[in-house]
Amino acid sequence: MDTFKSLIVILLSSVFVNNYVLTRFLGICPFLGVSKKLNSATGMGIAVTFVMVLATAVTWPIQNYILGEEYSYLQTIVFILVIASLVQFIEMALKKFIPSLHKALGVYLPLITTNCAVLGVTLNNLTETSITTGANFTYIESLVNSLGVGLGFLLAMVLFSGMRQKIQESEIPESFKGLPATLIAASFISLAFFGFGGIVENIFK
Amino acid sequence: MSKHIKSIAVLTVICAVVSLLLAATHHITAPIIEQQENAKTNEALLVVYPDGGDFEQVDISKYELPSTITEAFKSENGGYAIKVTVSGYQPNMVILCGIDKDGVVTGATCISSGETLGKEKTYGENFVGKSAKDYDSVDTIANATYTTQGYKNAIKDALNAAVILGGGTADLRSEEEILADNLNTALPQANGEFETVLLLESLENIDKVYTALNKQGFVFVSSENFVATNTSGKVLGETDATLKETVENAASKILEWEKNKIDLTKFDTMPQAVKEAYKNSDGNFTFILHGAGYGINGGDKYHPASGKPIVIKVVASKSGKIISCITLEQSETANIGSACGDEKFYSQFNGKTENNYSQIDAISGATITTNGYVTAIGDVFSAIKILKGVS
Amino acid sequence: MKKNGSLYTLLKGLLLENPVFVLVLGTCPTLAMTKDLISALGMGLAATAVLICSNIVISILGKFIPDSVRIPCYIVVIAGFVTLVQMLIHAYVPDVYEMLGVFLPLITVNCIILGRAEMFAAKNNVGKSALDGLGMGLGFTLALLSIAIIREPFGAGTFAGMDIPFLKDHTIAFLAQAPGGFLVYGIMIAVVYKLTHGKAPYKKEFSCDNCPSAALCNKSACKAKEEN
Repeated sequence: MDTFKSLIVILLSSVFVNNYVLTRFLGICPFLGVSKKLNSATGMGIAVTFVMVLATAVTWPIQNYILGEEYSYLQTIVFILVIASLVQFIEMALKKFIPSLHKALGVYLPLITTNCAVLGVTLNNLTETSITTGANFTYIESLVNSLGVGLGFLLAMVLFSGMRQKIQESEIPESFKGLPATLIAASFISLAFFGFGGIVENIFK
Repeated sequence: MSKHIKSIAVLTVICAVVSLLLAATHHITAPIIEQQENAKTNEALLVVYPDGGDFEQVDISKYELPSTITEAFKSENGGYAIKVTVSGYQPNMVILCGIDKDGVVTGATCISSGETLGKEKTYGENFVGKSAKDYDSVDTIANATYTTQGYKNAIKDALNAAVILGGGTADLRSEEEILADNLNTALPQANGEFETVLLLESLENIDKVYTALNKQGFVFVSSENFVATNTSGKVLGETDATLKETVENAASKILEWEKNKIDLTKFDTMPQAVKEAYKNSDGNFTFILHGAGYGINGGDKYHPASGKPIVIKVVASKSGKIISCITLEQSETANIGSACGDEKFYSQFNGKTENNYSQIDAISGATITTNGYVTAIGDVFSAIKILKGVS
Repeated sequence: MKKNGSLYTLLKGLLLENPVFVLVLGTCPTLAMTKDLISALGMGLAATAVLICSNIVISILGKFIPDSVRIPCYIVVIAGFVTLVQMLIHAYVPDVYEMLGVFLPLITVNCIILGRAEMFAAKNNVGKSALDGLGMGLGFTLALLSIAIIREPFGAGTFAGMDIPFLKDHTIAFLAQAPGGFLVYGIMIAVVYKLTHGKAPYKKEFSCDNCPSAALCNKSACKAKEEN
């Protein structure tokens, strides 16, 4: 029961409190670039979630059973190659076996290779500690954390795409049109996410 | 095809060259990084042990230490910096404690915790200069019983660990274990099963009295001495004359109380709060009551209920008038319900009867305590009626 | 100034093609590492070092690398230099290492570096590529510093870690936190646009032209995006 509770805490805090995009500044490029329309935002968000969980499923064992302490300096290079190949592989597999899904998500996959949120979450999973146990994440906790980060990304994308459609219809001074207005809107939504701070830790007390 | 082979070959060569280059750099930087990390650890240790100089990590698996010790570092001056993980209000409160070679705490700090109040960060400063003798006397953090207790346990374990690491032996037993051992040594016939005897009046030079559950005798505690007597109050074994006299005087008092004790099991209708009753030589009754105050009926996550009742002694006349009332024991919330242990509160019941016993000044902010107390007193009057009906 | 002269190659990164304000690349470290001047400087210099080295190596190797494995090869080279810089920083400036945290290995996926490798180094000679790396790196560093110089004094009341008397007691705390990053960055882009009379941020939107991943996806994602 306690394990389950701690997994829920990890999931909720990575979705809301430690939202990668809005509080940690990871994965900003797709957040700003692909959030203009609701369907593309959703597609990108789902694809990122999918890749994050799979990438963690692969990189966690690589670090803990192959690289270890001794070769951890090869971490970055190994992880990025693994993620890049994984993404390529997923794309090929989807194309071959589930063409309908490939049509929906396939276009976003290549963009994910160099998405810093994916590499970031795999690296962070190795150093972050669980709030409830104080120890480094276990394999299951890492997977749950990645899922939460992905869902948090999806949530941010979807919320933000709604906001951007509003901005497009409003009158903005010339200098602020486009990216500046988008960034300021992101600032507000990030401010809103501050409200989640401290909630998750206290829900289960 | 050859195009594919070329692609694979180029990528492989680049990977290999880059890996070799990294391995070489790692070879150069690894020792420097390690040295730096050590210096950083050392600096962190100096916070709790300012005169510690250089520290060296101790392999704690070689010693039999309290299980809470997670890391230990030996200072070049002979002292230790010890990392302890204990449970406060939340699990995993990590405390770093410095102890010099004379066993005096040089500093303590909380490295990480899930405590709710933040005061645990600076609380460790209060332990500076304390040693095994007096660490327990440090003031508690107000409203944070668990955090305080966790902290004190950590300091205690660290002090013990320092003694063991220094080659000495330390008493790793908890207070309960020490007590159990002392009792067992004094009266082995009891098979280690004892119960505290409630003292109706304080006994001269006696701190506590225990009775064996299997009726083999008593153990009297007089300033750290544990003296056993048989059931008739005779001291067992060799003791010095004064101590023997003190204990035997006390024992005769207890036996006298026992004689006056009324067997309450004979009365089915006896109110719950009345735990013991005595018929005194002057015809009055003495009652021991357990009042259900905050310790039983209260409690929330910040002020957990102790689970202990308020123990009250009431002497009342046959006619149903309270002659004296006194609180013997209570574990109500400090500074609030604990006022039920003040003479100002309980002396209000003196002279009260069934008709007016509830007309007293309540303890402000402690409704549950007051109600529990008054209800228990009310039970005295029904108890007197029941006892009179028989005798 | 000649458009293809060495001086132009070096200086264009500072303003006209500033990677942060004009090309809008490397947004993640730009937002995350501008809380204070020291980490902004550290991040800028670390990225500059990686940028120069990877530009040099990629411009040398460019001819030998088959097109099909181009991107993986670039990524390996970049990740190699990032790890190298990471180890050196860890060994010699551990304080900066702590500050940069996970963003140090994440330089690997900083779009500026892959972008410059793809758009410039692969097509130009070693000398020019090095100059381009230096210019872009300095442009990135200056941009980070210019954001940090607003966020740190007003957000935390300090200047490079030193207390500023009045501001210390009157901080606008949210500037030092996540929302402040977005806000200041947005305003800075608008200011640069105004100062250059609308010439500089000729791309005030994200598009495939700036996205280094475009090469990976043959712009399919962007096309899909635009069609939507």
